[in-house]
Formats: sequence, C-alpha cells, structure tokens
Amino acid sequence: MAGVNDSPVTDRDGADADAHTTSEVVVDGVGKTYSGESDPVRALEDVSFAVDSGEFVCLVGPSGCGKTTLFRVVAGLTEATDGTVRLGGTPVTGPTTDMGVVFQEYHLFPWLTVEENVGFGLERSGYPAADRGRRVDEMLALVGLSEFRDAYPKSLSGGMKQRVAIARALAVDPALLLMDEPFGAVDAQTREMLQRELLDVWASTGKTVCFVTHDVAEAVTLADRIVVMAADPGRVKSIVDVDVDRPRERDDPAFGDHVARVREMIGAAP
Amino acid sequence: MATDTRERFDGNADEDVSDGQLLGGVGIDDPRRLIRGASGLLAFLALWHLASLTQPAYVLPSPAAVGVRFVEEAASGTMLDALTSSVRHWIPGTVVGTALGVGAGVALAWSNALDDVTAPLVRVLRPVPPLALIGFAIAWFGINDAGAAFIIAVGAFWINFYAAFGAVEGVSEELLDVGRTLGVDGDLDMIRSIVIPAALPEITTGIRTGLGRCWMLVVAAEIFGVPGIGREILRASNNLLVDKVIAYILVLSLLYLVVDVAFRAVQRRVLVWRA
Repeated sequence: MAGVNDSPVTDRDGADADAHTTSEVVVDGVGKTYSGESDPVRALEDVSFAVDSGEFVCLVGPSGCGKTTLFRVVAGLTEATDGTVRLGGTPVTGPTTDMGVVFQEYHLFPWLTVEENVGFGLERSGYPAADRGRRVDEMLALVGLSEFRDAYPKSLSGGMKQRVAIARALAVDPALLLMDEPFGAVDAQTREMLQRELLDVWASTGKTVCFVTHDVAEAVTLADRIVVMAADPGRVKSIVDVDVDRPRERDDPAFGDHVARVREMIGAAP
Repeated sequence: MATDTRERFDGNADEDVSDGQLLGGVGIDDPRRLIRGASGLLAFLALWHLASLTQPAYVLPSPAAVGVRFVEEAASGTMLDALTSSVRHWIPGTVVGTALGVGAGVALAWSNALDDVTAPLVRVLRPVPPLALIGFAIAWFGINDAGAAFIIAVGAFWINFYAAFGAVEGVSEELLDVGRTLGVDGDLDMIRSIVIPAALPEITTGIRTGLGRCWMLVVAAEIFGVPGIGREILRASNNLLVDKVIAYILVLSLLYLVVDVAFRAVQRRVLVWRA
C-alpha cells in the first residue's frame, strides 16, 4: 500500500469504460419524517444529488442536518418517507452487499479474528468459495494488516479496527463504499494517516466513495465534490467542486480557500 | 506504517485480565493468594473445632468427626450410590432446563410478537418456586429420577431464560446493521451468525449460575424420596446425624467446585476473543 502516492485519478484502472457516463448513486428527492409520539420531525427535505462512478463525494453539514439519517437511507437501513435512492440504476430497498458500509464506531465482530471479520461477507455475497482465502489476503494487504490476521479486535487500536472495517466492507467488492464519519473516533494523527490510506485504497480500487463527515478540512482533503447540507430540515445547501490537485496539502492556499468557502456555507466559525 | 501498527498493537495488547473470582480460578499460580486462602480455611476449622467443644455432637460435631464420617460413608459405598443417583437427576435436569431456557430466552428476546404473546404466561409462572411443582413432578413423572430431574430443569430453565433474554436484548443494534449490510438475511441467519455469538458471554454466565443452582436443587428435588445426596442429607438431619449432614454437604460443594472449574475452563476457551 505504501508508495501509491501518485494522483489517484491517474491511478484508477480503466476497467469501467463507461464509468463517467453513468451515475453510480442517485439520491432523488429523498425526504424523511420521523413520526414520534409528539410532533413529527422532518429530518430530511427533498435531498437530491448524484455520485459518479469512481467519484469521491463527501457529505458535510452541521450537527442535526440529517447526515446520519441520509447515510442510513442510502445504506438501505432506514426507509425514506419520500423519494428514492438508486445504486447502479436499481432502487435501494434494503441493505445490499453491493454497498460496503463503514460505521463510525467500527463495529467489528469481537468474536471473530481480523481474518474472519474481513471474510464475513464473502460467503453471503456469493463470492466463489475457492477465491475467498485469496480475497481476504488481498484485503488485509490493502490495509496493511496481514500480520494481524489472527488477532481479535479487542487487541487492536482504533485506527487498526477502522482499517479492518474498511477491509471487511471492501472484501465483497461492492460498487459503492459508504462511510459515516469513519475517522471520528480516532486521534488527529491517526485520522490524517487513515485519510491518506483511504485515498490510496480509493486510487488502487477505483471504488465510488460516499463519505459523511462533520469535519470540513477532512472533506476538502478527500473529496472530488462536497455536498454541503443545512439543518432544520436537513437539506442540500450547495454542491462544491474541489479543484485542488492531489495530494492536497493543508498549507496550499487553494485548500484554505475551499475550507473557508464550505465553512461559510455551513455557518461555522472559521 | 508497519512499525506504527506494531507499536499500537503492543500499546493496546490485552491486559491480562486476572481472574478475581472466588472459586473459579483458584489462584494456584499466585502463592500469596494460596497462602491467604489456606490460612482462612485453617482459622475457620479452628474456630469450628473450638465451638464444637462446647456443644453436643447432634448440635455441632467437630471437624474431625465430620472427616471420619466422610471417610466411612465413602468407604461403605453409600456415598458413591447417592452420588450416582444425584448425578442421574442433575445431568438431564440441567441439560434440558438449560437448553430450553436459553432457547426460549433467545427466541422471546428476538421476537417482539412472541414476547407479547408469552408475557402474561411468563409473569404468572416466573414466581413459582420449583419446589411448589413437586406435586406435578410426582403426578407427571412419578417418584423417580425423571421427577427429580423435572424439578431441577425448572430451576435451570428460569435462570437461563432471563440470562439469555437479557443478553440478546443487549446485542447492539449497530452490530445487526453491520450484519445486514454484509448480507445476513433473515432471522435465523441473524440469530446464528450475530445474535448468539454476541450474546454468548452473558449466556454462558447464566449457564454457569444455573449449574450451581441446580446442585442446590438436587437436595430439594430429592425431598420426596428419590435416592441421592439430597435424600441422605434429609434422612441424616431427621436422625440428628449432623456429622453426616455436613459430610454430604461437603460432597455437594466438591461436586459444584469440580463442575464450576470445568465449566470455566470451557467458557474461557469459547470466549477466548474476550480475554
């Protein structure tokens, strides 16, 4: 995994010839109302955006803007009240192994070893039995954890757990990698390292990535485009193209400009 | 990155969780604990001996008298007979009660509908002490091994039912979500591949509690005349043979100790991921 520091864009293999002509994910007019015991709460209002195949899109917004609800709707874990989500043209009606989902708190299966966690989805997603072992090896190598294959999650650091979670999500070879604040629970130093590693993984696998975060600098570091959300009710405020060459440095003035612009939209203090 | 992960791994490597339980991990590898335990036991025996000097044997026999009686009972074969009979109640009662209790606990905790349907029944049956069912035991099974096993099974059932119920309710919703996104499909698949493994620590704690409780129930279950350690204890106490009572109580304690240590060894193996 080390040494893949070139621009991810040029690194992506061209297997999907029509990759950029189709949108991998289409979120179309999604609304979500939670009807509680008292007043119904409108969590999402008419959210629409698309993620191209191979594209890296971040969703940012203040707390309470419905980011996590939107994440759950896209993942098929929560049903939208209005609108649809389509993955590769097919409406999402429930969880599917076409999506690799990574949660903030890792949620590894503590009773399985690293290797077994990574291999968990393979059988169920119909991955050929003969190739499963090789696939797990490949994924462990991808996240640099080959030597920890027999370790249980309890003995891993937060950063390592999240690497395993990413490997587990990618093992079934999903069309989309969907992540909800995956680096929110680790320290700043580990977070930057994981961000770099995720970009490397993205570059080497060419996956479409949809990444939810509240950290604007993180979004500018990672994304091709940023979907900026606003709260009450959760909605799309703007979609920002990040025109900064990779690898992106935080002291690059263009980087700072983007961060400032997005923060202004969100209304956060600079 | 390799060095980094190695460092982190070592930094967070398992703190060896030492076994603070009383009986389970007798601290054989820690001589200080062993000495303290032994001195506590000796002090207790000394106090017992002193107290027994002031009392007639039918109130409090001396430790030595109990020891002699223990050897006599063991040598005559009475003890072994009683033991075999009790084990014949204990094993089927515990196995059946545990299996049904865990099964029902998991099913009811998982299915709201099932829980709603059975909730009133559970509320009514739960407070019934196993001993109150002796009439049913006799009527349904007779005064025999099966009747005694039934009483034991009832006791094992409730302990395991509540342990498993709580354990399954405590399985995090997020873990189930992860399972769904990885293709876990349907209730049975979910229960088998996520719910049971996640709930296993608490389920096995319930089983362990049940194993101990069932030894206690052996005495109670034999109250209506089925041969076994319980009956020996009851008969001896009716005849004021207190030394014999204590000798057979010791048998129960030793059996419990053996079973508990063995089960803990199994538990540690099964839950090696938690170490």
